[in-house]
Amino acid sequence: MTPARPRKPRATGPARRARTEASARSAPATSAAQARPGAARSDPRERLRRVLFLVPYAVRHPGIPVKDLARRCGCTEKELLEDLDFLLEVGSPPFAPDDFLDLYVEGDRVFVALHQSFSRPPRFTESEAAALAAAVRALGGEGRDRAVKALRDSVPKDRRASFDELVGRIYAGAPPARESVLGRLQRAIAERRAVRLAYHSASRDADTERVVRPYTLAQRFGHWYLYGHDSTRAKALAFRLDRIRECAVTDERFEPPTEAELARMRLFSEAQGEPIRLRLGARAAAWALARPGIRLVARDDGGGAVIELAGTSDEYGTRFALSLGGDAEVIAPASARRHFEEAVRRALARYA
Amino acid sequence: MQKDQRLLDLAALLLKAAEPVSWREIQEQFPDDYGARGEAAIRKFERDKADLLELGIPVRYVAGDEDLPAGYLIDRDEFYLPDLRLAPEDLALLYVAGSAALANGSFPYARDLAHALNKLSFAARAPGASEAAALAAKRLSAGDDDGDAAPDLAGRLEELSRAIAHKKRVHLVYRGAERREKTERDLDPYGLFQNDGAWYVSGFCHLRADIRTFHVSRIESLAVNPAAPRTADFTPRKDFSLAELATREPWEYREHAPVRCRVRLEPPVPAEVVASFGPRASVREDGGAALVEVDATNREGLLRHVLALGDRAEILAPRALRDQAREVLAGLARRIA
Repeated sequence: MTPARPRKPRATGPARRARTEASARSAPATSAAQARPGAARSDPRERLRRVLFLVPYAVRHPGIPVKDLARRCGCTEKELLEDLDFLLEVGSPPFAPDDFLDLYVEGDRVFVALHQSFSRPPRFTESEAAALAAAVRALGGEGRDRAVKALRDSVPKDRRASFDELVGRIYAGAPPARESVLGRLQRAIAERRAVRLAYHSASRDADTERVVRPYTLAQRFGHWYLYGHDSTRAKALAFRLDRIRECAVTDERFEPPTEAELARMRLFSEAQGEPIRLRLGARAAAWALARPGIRLVARDDGGGAVIELAGTSDEYGTRFALSLGGDAEVIAPASARRHFEEAVRRALARYA
Repeated sequence: MQKDQRLLDLAALLLKAAEPVSWREIQEQFPDDYGARGEAAIRKFERDKADLLELGIPVRYVAGDEDLPAGYLIDRDEFYLPDLRLAPEDLALLYVAGSAALANGSFPYARDLAHALNKLSFAARAPGASEAAALAAKRLSAGDDDGDAAPDLAGRLEELSRAIAHKKRVHLVYRGAERREKTERDLDPYGLFQNDGAWYVSGFCHLRADIRTFHVSRIESLAVNPAAPRTADFTPRKDFSLAELATREPWEYREHAPVRCRVRLEPPVPAEVVASFGPRASVREDGGAALVEVDATNREGLLRHVLALGDRAEILAPRALRDQAREVLAGLARRIA
């Protein structure tokens, strides 16, 4: 039998520092060997994907604080330090000291002494590229086909046929807005320019003019939103794309939000105001409870239910109830109930 | 040796090697893993190779010639994420689209999407990169099960995504909408689509022996066929079109023979209301109002859509559907009186 390969011959130098700090931070009895299985996320390949990003990222950002690197990798600081310990064991023959990966922590900052060619992230897997392609196709826009082609070219050659197939197996929705509005918003986001919007406010049922610094677009509960900073209200807000009547790109440039601000960002604020309460019959309940954004309050014996819609308008409550084909009514709060009653009477009058 | 370590060691070896590394040499370097004689060691190596490819790392076998020995290598050009060579606005489109999908709370391959955005933000700076990276980090730090929209939905979508990618049959317990009883069935999942904020999976249903679509939120439990994870269980039927299913309006579900229906929209008619009838509707102006005509194969779907528009819309034809609308509204009026 071949002699066992020499693992980790070094006990000095930067590696030693990393290990010391790692163990100082984690639970006292945690050695690298014990920590490994526990650190794995649901899929064992997650760690590999993480470190294949972590190493090049740390190479690119020498001295990045442990905290920032962990946040960037979507893991805890403890997991990150365990990853660093794990990486110290990785190397290639003949396993001389310089044949191992060497990342170390000094004063809470991460440095890479030896990256062993893991200096850039690997290509996209077909599902990574296909997920992004599906997102691009759902958003639409003029550069869509070019972007999808570039994604395809970034998948290993052997996997491009799988990519093509997979792209045809996810359909994330039709483009969200008229080409003109969407195109201008995309340009404004790309150029970091403020936009002037004519926006239909559902709560006031009127068009308002807003100047917004556009950060990004977001899709939620079947609607598309522009997320950005509203200068009049001096806070970040979400605007529904299908309520943007006009959109003009201005000359005002702005600085993007800082990374710290982004880490705190909530695309959608906590729902405000009293939720709207509906009583549903059995048929409507089965259908509605599978919808996103619905909270079950109580269920009755016959299969019916009382549900709540949070953070929405009286108008939406009425629409939602009516869309259930007569098997639902708005019951609270009083203003929403009145809105519903009015709507039923007026709609019935059409059929007189 | 731990598998994850072995895979990285192997990648490091093949990346660094100046020429292809022979099987014998690989065996010598990994005696505990591939050292055994015979087929088993080769199969283990092949599985590792496949795992590396799934991480985006292609290991290539090169047949030898006079100059080069036969063996395995990782071509650096094939390994590193290349420059996408996109204009800044096209890159920004990728970032915006990716961010939007992650903000959705549930998206197929959401973890993959987050990884992709991470890698991309590294390779190509463009506006939107930091926003996308922040969302990606948030997604990765969340477990599969804490999508914020619906607790199980994100996890179900991940499982289904994987089953679709590997063409694995799934067994599901499904809660029907109209008949409330639960049913169990095997499904060959062909694709996922999103409509009006909800996700659906379509595929060949072995219970009905036909293509069927399922609301992902109504799947009570899901088990992917665990046998032979790398072998496809099925080939999707050629006549399947995900786009066609995905872009159907509710009144286009096949419940009965097509019926021409006419709807009147009262002025002022907002563009999004007209658009809500879909691209196949024919729309005619009528003194400020709009007359919309569609061919419905599911009248009930159209009825609900029109009712939701309140007094801004009215069904004109067919007569029976108009009567049904009136009855529904009259019933509601009696309840609230």
